[in-house]
Amino acid sequence: MSYQFNWSVLWSGQSGNWLLQGVLTTLAISVLAWLLAVALGILSGAMRTVPWKPLRALATFYVEFFRNVPLLVWMFFWYFGVPPLLPRGAQDWLFSHRAEFWAGMFALGVYHGARMSEVIRAGILSIPRTQFEAAVAMGLTTFQAYRLVIVPIALRLIVPPATSESLNLLKNSSVALTISVAELTFQTRQIETYTAKAIEAFTAGTVLYLVFCVGIASIMARVERRFAIPGLIARGG
Amino acid sequence: MKRMLAVIVALALALSLAPPAGAQQDTLAKIKETGVLTIGTRTGSPPFAYVNKNNEWVGFSIDLVEQLVRPSVEKAVGRAVKVEKKESTPPTRIPLLSSNAVDLIAGTMTDTPQRREVVDFSLTFFYTGAQLMVKKGSPIKGVNDLAGKRVAAQQGSTNAKILREKYPQAQLREFPDQPAAFQALLQGQVDAYTNDGIQLYGLKAKAPKPDEWDVVGDFYSEEPYGMAMRKGDAKLKAAVDAGLKTGFESGKYFEIYEKWFGPQGELPYPVSAQVKTYLLKQIGK
Repeated sequence: MSYQFNWSVLWSGQSGNWLLQGVLTTLAISVLAWLLAVALGILSGAMRTVPWKPLRALATFYVEFFRNVPLLVWMFFWYFGVPPLLPRGAQDWLFSHRAEFWAGMFALGVYHGARMSEVIRAGILSIPRTQFEAAVAMGLTTFQAYRLVIVPIALRLIVPPATSESLNLLKNSSVALTISVAELTFQTRQIETYTAKAIEAFTAGTVLYLVFCVGIASIMARVERRFAIPGLIARGG
Repeated sequence: MKRMLAVIVALALALSLAPPAGAQQDTLAKIKETGVLTIGTRTGSPPFAYVNKNNEWVGFSIDLVEQLVRPSVEKAVGRAVKVEKKESTPPTRIPLLSSNAVDLIAGTMTDTPQRREVVDFSLTFFYTGAQLMVKKGSPIKGVNDLAGKRVAAQQGSTNAKILREKYPQAQLREFPDQPAAFQALLQGQVDAYTNDGIQLYGLKAKAPKPDEWDVVGDFYSEEPYGMAMRKGDAKLKAAVDAGLKTGFESGKYFEIYEKWFGPQGELPYPVSAQVKTYLLKQIGK
């Protein structure tokens, strides 16, 4: 048998529409999860460096608990584990309002928030301690020092690893197909089901992920150049 | 940046256009060399292929391979052959075949015209049709009651396809495997779960509380199960078909059937006269 390629399966019939739907779902779940991850990441990343132990312990617990369990397990947890804890009415409402999508979004966002947290903590720790001391000496409270001085500088330092983490998030959104979220990988499988042309369908998916990731990476490279702090981060090329 | 992107895309395309490595040799010749027949089968589809309470990977389809196909393949290659099992699911089974990861799919695969364009099927070894599983007392009595209801199906299955095309008013939720889809029904994420009738009965029998579930509706599709092979693998197909044919003729097939679906079997499901006629017609009887 030599495999007969037939690339037209990607745009004939409903395939084009499915791919588009898949792309939109992937982008929607990734963007929402990314916002959640960044918010949780900044909060817990900052909390892990503050000079007050209970806050540090809480943030450490969050990070270690969520990043050390596989994402697939978190998907099942948010989809199968959480709804039974809610009252019956809330469950029914959720199930008829895209429960899969929201469960997938939370799984992705909370998991990557824990990973993002480490990136941000690393950024904060790379800032000389004297910056914080100087800010406090100026009369800022700890919260103000973090909000106005430490976190803004840290965010400008961590663009490269944060980009990497964001690309991981986008690609990991494919795990949501296990709980029936019809994202891009799901749709390429769908095309495979209808046409039995696996290699064409999976190639389409591969190329689309690649295009998005390279696109995001190139935008972030611009952001990095624009916001790099002279003297604090080496400027390449 | 743009140039880099173009290079990457071109590379990806070139890689995917290259024929899969080791594209088709004669599978029987390979088996003769290695003494191993690798099958792709299910782990959660009782009683066809599943992992039982003692953690053994067993089932009707696996028995058919071990007791009917294996002897026939052994005869064809002239040496003892071992059967190795790998897990396959609806979305992975055709890629597993085309990439030579497995030689034969023997699970719960329905023989359809579209799939015949890509793989070859053996004689039909089981015949069923799609039905619905619902919680006892559900208003859903058949496929016509599905408007606006959430229905779970297995992704890549023929049922999902038919439901999407003929009953678009149902809200389809597709899961990669049977346990996840069934879990969604158990917990109420969906109102019904559709699959081939026999598999639903299998699932019901294995459910924590079998009495809480009902299998409802007439068959809304025809699902003849076959074993799938790479297209054009004529010698292997001849050996597989010969094995099944011998089984039908000698009655061995019906003994195995009795073991799994008989009154004392895992899942009592008597073979109807109609199905028996269908199966025997394939071998000209």
